[in-house]
Amino acid sequence: MRNGAALVWDMLYGVDGKLQPRRQMVESEEVSSDGLVWTFRLRGGLKFHDGEPVLAKDVVASLARWQARDNMGLMTKEIEQELVAVDDRTFRWVLKKPYPKLLVALGKVGTPSCFIMPARIAATDPFKPIGDYVGSGPMRFVRNEWVPGAKAVFERFADYAPRQEPNSWLSGGKHMLLERIEWIVMPDPATASAALQNGEVDWWETPIADIVPVLKKNRNVMVDIADPLGNIGSFRMNHLHPPFNDVRARRAILTAMNQEDYMRAVVGDNALWKPLPGFFTPGTPLYSEDGGEILKGPRRLDAAKRLLADSGYSGQPVTCVVAQDLQITKAQGEVTADLLRKLGVNVDFAAVDWGTNAARRAQKSPPGQGGWQMFHTWHAGAVCIDPSSYTAIRANGDKAWFGWPTSAKVESEITAWYDARNLDEEKAAIARLNKAALEDVVYAPTGFFLAYQAWRKNIDGIVKGPLPFFWGVSKAA
Amino acid sequence: MLSYTIRRILATIPVMVVVALFVFSLLYIAPGDPAAVIAGDQATPADVERIRQSLGLDRPFLIRFGEWLWQILHGDLGTSIFTNLPVAAMIAQRVEPTLSLMAVTLVIAICLAVPMGVVAAWQADTLIDRAIMAFAVLGFSVPVFVVGYLLAYVFALELDWLPVQGYTQISEGLWPWFENLILPALALGCVYIALIARITRASMLEVLQQDFIRTARAKGVGQTRILFVHALKNAAVPIVTVIGIGVALLIGGAVVTETVFAIPGIGRLTVDAILRRDYPVIQGVVLMFSFLYVLVNLLIDLLYTVLDPRIRY
Repeated sequence: MRNGAALVWDMLYGVDGKLQPRRQMVESEEVSSDGLVWTFRLRGGLKFHDGEPVLAKDVVASLARWQARDNMGLMTKEIEQELVAVDDRTFRWVLKKPYPKLLVALGKVGTPSCFIMPARIAATDPFKPIGDYVGSGPMRFVRNEWVPGAKAVFERFADYAPRQEPNSWLSGGKHMLLERIEWIVMPDPATASAALQNGEVDWWETPIADIVPVLKKNRNVMVDIADPLGNIGSFRMNHLHPPFNDVRARRAILTAMNQEDYMRAVVGDNALWKPLPGFFTPGTPLYSEDGGEILKGPRRLDAAKRLLADSGYSGQPVTCVVAQDLQITKAQGEVTADLLRKLGVNVDFAAVDWGTNAARRAQKSPPGQGGWQMFHTWHAGAVCIDPSSYTAIRANGDKAWFGWPTSAKVESEITAWYDARNLDEEKAAIARLNKAALEDVVYAPTGFFLAYQAWRKNIDGIVKGPLPFFWGVSKAA
Repeated sequence: MLSYTIRRILATIPVMVVVALFVFSLLYIAPGDPAAVIAGDQATPADVERIRQSLGLDRPFLIRFGEWLWQILHGDLGTSIFTNLPVAAMIAQRVEPTLSLMAVTLVIAICLAVPMGVVAAWQADTLIDRAIMAFAVLGFSVPVFVVGYLLAYVFALELDWLPVQGYTQISEGLWPWFENLILPALALGCVYIALIARITRASMLEVLQQDFIRTARAKGVGQTRILFVHALKNAAVPIVTVIGIGVALLIGGAVVTETVFAIPGIGRLTVDAILRRDYPVIQGVVLMFSFLYVLVNLLIDLLYTVLDPRIRY
């Protein structure tokens, strides 16, 4: 959804390949010396796909819609004194306290991204989907050719005014060299592979690892890493119910688990994974291994069994929910079940589909009454670069992500990161956060893994990134 | 005949009501929550709850069922939870590929299976019969997706004769439309061909033992005429019955075939809706398929009177 939206809707700011927010729809911004008053001016000539100009009132309405759904948006709403359109191209944001990460919030790649839409559309209840797909991005959505779940078509928006800087991820000049993009959903990877080899499609966003060797042998196909920010595999333990309401039981799991087992099951290919003794994306500025010793070195099953016994665990069933229709969750679930059995845990393996998993993980009731003790998932590396969109790292109890961890240390370090004034302060806060999150075991990271993308050799301009960036991409005959 | 047809059509109403109640109840008790799927992976439990409320999913069963039934009675299948589009429009958008696939499969299957069954019966216990029956066993045994992959590999990837995937609307030309359906129809038709060929053979074997066939032969009627005019017409009732029953097979098989050949039909719409718990779409599709199945069975029953004048309603 976000990937298609990035074509249709433009953003005020966009992160570049170095994860820095750059101006996109904004021409300039001014901030008062106390950091409380931000004044933004939009670029001239911005138009929506219906021909109407992009006005400051549209931005104000779009920001209000985004604020209701986004973690950082909610934070800005809490400290907001005023958000108003000053004139057609200027809007002012007055805060009650400084918010140094404001531009990061407006340009981040993690969902929900801050897309700008006409005020009449932005007025839709933020918890209901919009029904009118008018944006001001470089491509317009061709609604009459849309087959939901099967095909989406985008055509170049002739009136789009790209920036002059070179493009980099969501920033810079989004020059479209393609007149039309047909986004086809192929549920079966073997069919997608055959279609790419046969020249019926040009670019495959997510080929599965098993098929990549076949694609690499085809002289008309290129294969490369899709997103350098990759993904972080994870499983979450329910902090509300025994045995994982006791930190010793959670630590027992980290003490025994072997990330290599998880990553070999998920991706196999050694070039695609690495162990992750922490919670933040490797290769990004805030990456930290502080406190990661518990996940490093030879695994200590005996020590884990002792910890588990100390926690009071005495053989009651542990409900491990595993979505079978997603290869990543299925593979991780099988490894966890094996690990638990080795630890002498009585595993209640609940094989479900993702829809059931999504509903069940929201249940706070005890496991015997529809609840759960463990479930598996993964997080996009683009989200795990910092705490801004990283809901899975939060440990604010009832308001936290599923599993509902509570850790005052973790929460205070997240606040410290938001308040940090420079990169050194940010790094220090994240290092402390990483350590605290491992001590309290907010969740169990199973490793860092990458995925491939593949395209026909007559396609040029494809870059590695957290989503497919079509600007600058061209197709030779 | 007319009164029978009207009675049968009226009888579909209670059938549809039972189906509607059954489907709605089943979805209500099935695990899963569309709000959780819509909210996305980064959503908090509070977000999920808010979406559930905004969609009205927190209301009591009877109220939701009553509202839905009222909509149905007014010809409104409701609105998709995910796309916000009318379910009727979504089904209409997907119905052409599925009906095209089923129609082409039906035609190919009948054109191949009936002659195969007739020849097998005529040449009973010979090598030809055994070869045809061996094919039938294979058709029953090999899953649709395996046949699909094999056909795509040979005819699309290796020989480059036909496309691997996709669907072209019939309005864009007969050949582009048919070209995209050949491989899926053959894959889907395999089990159907096997079924019809076996029933045709069995039915023909019985008819070929009848006295009137001996009489026809004695009068010098040619073999082809005996087989395809005299015998086949008398063997037709069980064959037509199995063709009707087989429509259910086609509906089930279409789900897999549409996935393997990336055809945007009703089958894929159903699977996607089930995985996302898009209740209005699931309910709409099941109702439509139930109606279609009842209709096909009615047509088959009416066809009996044409094939066998002794049958009266």
